[in-house]
Amino acid sequence: MAAIGERREVRGKRRGARGERFSCLSALASGLKYAFLLAYLVAVVFPVCWVFYTSAKSTRQIYENPFGLPRAITGPSAESVKPLIENYRTAWVGSRFSRYFLNSVVVVGISLASIVLLGSMAAYVLARFTFRLRSLAYLLFVCGLLIPTQLVLIPLFFQFSDIGEGLTRLLGPPVRALGLGELTVSLHDSHIGLILIYVAFSLPFTVFTLTAFFRTLPGELREAAMMDGAGEYRIFFSVMAPLGKPGIVTVAIFNFLGLWNEYLFGLVFLSDDRLKTLPLGLASISMQAQYKSDFGLLFAALVIAMVPTMVVYMVLQEKLTRGITLGALKG
Amino acid sequence: MRREARGKRQGCRGVGQALFILSFLGPALLLYAFIVLWPALNAFRYSLYNWDGLSEPRWAGLGNFRAIVASGSEFIPAIRNNLFLTFVPGILTLSLALFFAYTIHQRIRGARLFRVAFFFPNVISGVAVALLWTLIYSTTDVGLLNGLLKLLGRTEPIAFTESGNLLWAIVPMSVWSATGFFMVLFLAAMENIPETYYEAARLDGASSGSQFRHITLPLMWDVLTTGIVFLVVGGLKFFDAIFVMENGKPGKVTHTMATLLYSKVFNEYNMGYGTAISVMLFLLVLAATLVSLRLMRRERLEY
Amino acid sequence: MKTACLWTLTAGALTLLTGCTLRRDTRHAGTTIEVAVFEGGYGIEWHKSVARRYEAEHPGVRVNLWGDPRVDEKVRPRILRRNPPDLASANLPVWKLIVAGKLYPLDEALDSPAYGVPGKTWRETMVPGTLGDFAYQGKTYAAPTALGAWVCWYNKRQFRKHGWEVPRTWSEFTALCDRMKAAGVAPLAFQGKYPGYAWATLLSLYQRLVPFERWYAMQDFKPGAFLDPDFVKAARLLQNMAVRHFQPGAMAMTHTESQLEWVNGRAAMVFCGLWLKNEMKSAIPEGFEMACFPVPMVDGGKGDPNAVYGGGAENFCVFADAKHPREGADFLKYLLSMESARSYTLRLDTLAPVAGSTDGLPISQELQSVVEVLRRSSRVFQDRISGLYLEFGATVLQQAQADLISNRITPEEFARRLEAGAEAARRNPDIYKPEPMGVPEG
Repeated sequence: MAAIGERREVRGKRRGARGERFSCLSALASGLKYAFLLAYLVAVVFPVCWVFYTSAKSTRQIYENPFGLPRAITGPSAESVKPLIENYRTAWVGSRFSRYFLNSVVVVGISLASIVLLGSMAAYVLARFTFRLRSLAYLLFVCGLLIPTQLVLIPLFFQFSDIGEGLTRLLGPPVRALGLGELTVSLHDSHIGLILIYVAFSLPFTVFTLTAFFRTLPGELREAAMMDGAGEYRIFFSVMAPLGKPGIVTVAIFNFLGLWNEYLFGLVFLSDDRLKTLPLGLASISMQAQYKSDFGLLFAALVIAMVPTMVVYMVLQEKLTRGITLGALKG
Repeated sequence: MRREARGKRQGCRGVGQALFILSFLGPALLLYAFIVLWPALNAFRYSLYNWDGLSEPRWAGLGNFRAIVASGSEFIPAIRNNLFLTFVPGILTLSLALFFAYTIHQRIRGARLFRVAFFFPNVISGVAVALLWTLIYSTTDVGLLNGLLKLLGRTEPIAFTESGNLLWAIVPMSVWSATGFFMVLFLAAMENIPETYYEAARLDGASSGSQFRHITLPLMWDVLTTGIVFLVVGGLKFFDAIFVMENGKPGKVTHTMATLLYSKVFNEYNMGYGTAISVMLFLLVLAATLVSLRLMRRERLEY
Repeated sequence: MKTACLWTLTAGALTLLTGCTLRRDTRHAGTTIEVAVFEGGYGIEWHKSVARRYEAEHPGVRVNLWGDPRVDEKVRPRILRRNPPDLASANLPVWKLIVAGKLYPLDEALDSPAYGVPGKTWRETMVPGTLGDFAYQGKTYAAPTALGAWVCWYNKRQFRKHGWEVPRTWSEFTALCDRMKAAGVAPLAFQGKYPGYAWATLLSLYQRLVPFERWYAMQDFKPGAFLDPDFVKAARLLQNMAVRHFQPGAMAMTHTESQLEWVNGRAAMVFCGLWLKNEMKSAIPEGFEMACFPVPMVDGGKGDPNAVYGGGAENFCVFADAKHPREGADFLKYLLSMESARSYTLRLDTLAPVAGSTDGLPISQELQSVVEVLRRSSRVFQDRISGLYLEFGATVLQQAQADLISNRITPEEFARRLEAGAEAARRNPDIYKPEPMGVPEG
């Protein structure tokens, strides 16, 4: 704080030397600057608020009074909150949003756990050990940062079909022979398939960032643990991984935001409605809302889709910005 | 000395350590090679065939690449759209982000509020952002923007999301949803610049503008370049918003490379053409990254 | 008990996760037919009710029927995965599938006895001409479940209130539009987000101008067909209508948004198919009266003034790679039984392609006006270009129409673009081109 005070003082002196006119202009400039910041703040915040309060209106009310506050806010009563309840009920129950939500939680949860585990293990080895092919392995992961998802999409699509068919052909007959029924295996339309994709695609960034992070950790602790006779596995899980927590948390937050919002892979690899994740569900609800001309439903669905990431952001806001900082300084 | 000691230890439990390395690196590498690397390599092979995904593939050589660069192909407008969606919102985003970061860095009143609020749109999913802005732009009575224009006395609504206007309509949306991230990125870089540099400059009587030009910008050049790489790669891979706002059916003036690829593959069953687009996309991403890295290194040497 | 529950839960979770399906005792449980339906204006309630009846009549068969507005996005990848549903009504690259042998021919089912019409085969119960749209090498690969017609809908009360009258010729139509504009009502709502909605109108206008030989020459992609001065004239009529009479902002509206404008009285008329009423069902205000008239005849046109754009619609096809194609075809036959067809008309206010299915039915006022239009029509005609030539449809046609309607290109340029697109398709050996159809009977 002292530094800032000092800076202001210095600036003030300079102004004094240059004269009153300059100071006037500068005050005007800073006023304009402030006005602009405030205007942008409104542009950022207002649309989101608008979605929130409009979700409490019925479609007819939206048409009659598109921008006004809903009656549920202006005059709360059992009657006026009806559209609100109706919209959210339709979205959550009628349009299976609860299902999509759960799917997202399962897919992203398992993916994140696997990414963090596999990624930190690989990064640790790449950062702290010297062995043949180490730089090759590292290079392979770094290459992944340059591979756009679209390059992989089509071959992977057919690769998954072939694997599914192969496994069905392989495992089908014995299962049938055991009298268990007809077995079909498929990596399409399965959460496992999507999780595999999510994990694999998050690895380059995760390994890259965590390798850099593990390199910065002091080596003495590991040496000390080794002196105490701890094995490599113990050292990693009880010493190094806990030390790497800040880096791991950063990586996890980034991966969470990326995966929770992922659309293209889901679109291509999930056809079954029951398996859809939130972004896919949101897109399909928007179609439904369009076909039924139900705008209230659409606004409510948008709110439900936005809230989880908003909450994560509110809670982990400091960590997230620190994470970007960390990334920025690494270049 | 430490390396020597490690060498000795490696000698006596080399097998154990090799196993350890394998068990830690193996799963990640295997999964990654299987899901990312192998299909990525396969994409190059696919792009050399004519294949509808249903019957036998036929060798096409470079035919698919010739087709995508031929005149009248949709790839050329698509790539133009990508460039538009990279540079127009990109330049705005960068300037705004720099401006906000610089202003907030000066610890103005409410800096924290601005920082937290401006970053917020970045955490909303691309699909949700696209739907939100579809509602903002709507020409029906729901539309926020046309409603405002009506209040200002405009009688006819503007068809913002009509395919001919859509790219322009995406510009503010894109800036809205991306600026926060770059602002935080740049802010971090600015906070990393030692205060003493500024003090020295001030003693020399440098104005705040020239401080920004001569201290802030050069010292955060690396981060700025990183930001540009992010923007360019993101612009080249642009998919979600177009796909959602065009209801899954973009036309020639709104296709990006990624949506064109999707519709070639899954709507028209033209696998070779689709993968050829993806190979081009990859090459562009590669080129953009290499150029930026090159720029970054040169500037760093200058300083 | 507790462990059993736990096991079931785990098994359920694993099935969801892995995509392994274990169907036990298939012989006893019978077959499950999977049906994917485009959930558009007609919804899927009718399809579901037919499925329930089918199950009741066929013990041991279950029908897993689902719908989605974007069913294509789900079915198309599944065809590539060789794991399609048994039958589907979706916007698919049908001709690629037919030529690659991925569709199951319906002929065996078509030549078997129909449901509910004693002494006749399924084929014989269909309205003549409705099965020809997807015939290839003597086999039939799709069957429509609806009879479509492209008409202009209007708001009857609004017409009465302002003393407007249904126009019969294009000049009357344009004059009426001008009067509407003067009265402060937008004459025409338009589904601008999908410029393809203009194609049927444009083809209808072209038909009004030329004899059928020339209309079908275009369908056969005859070189130069799009450069026909009368086609340019039709394009100009469309463009003038769009520029002068479409509701402002229409080009950014989805189909339901624009139709909502019409329902709410902001626009007086809208060109659409027969699904309109059902699509807008929940938004139609009480006391709303709708009726339709055919695309007006064009003054001085040489075409049949009484023909109507229409024919088989909502086509279903059965997939060769499906698990139960035969059963799928049988369910399709059941969808087109006399009873199903009649319930289709009753529930959805529209027509089924089953001959005589409206006989003796109480018919709603809206449908009455459609029936009137069809009764007075001399014959029906329908486009097949956009289904046959996907790339032409998706890239050339869609864009050119958007540009034409938005007044960005001249009608001449529009025609040149379509001709260039057709020429590219003619030259491309990978695109299947059927035998020229000439002027079909009908």
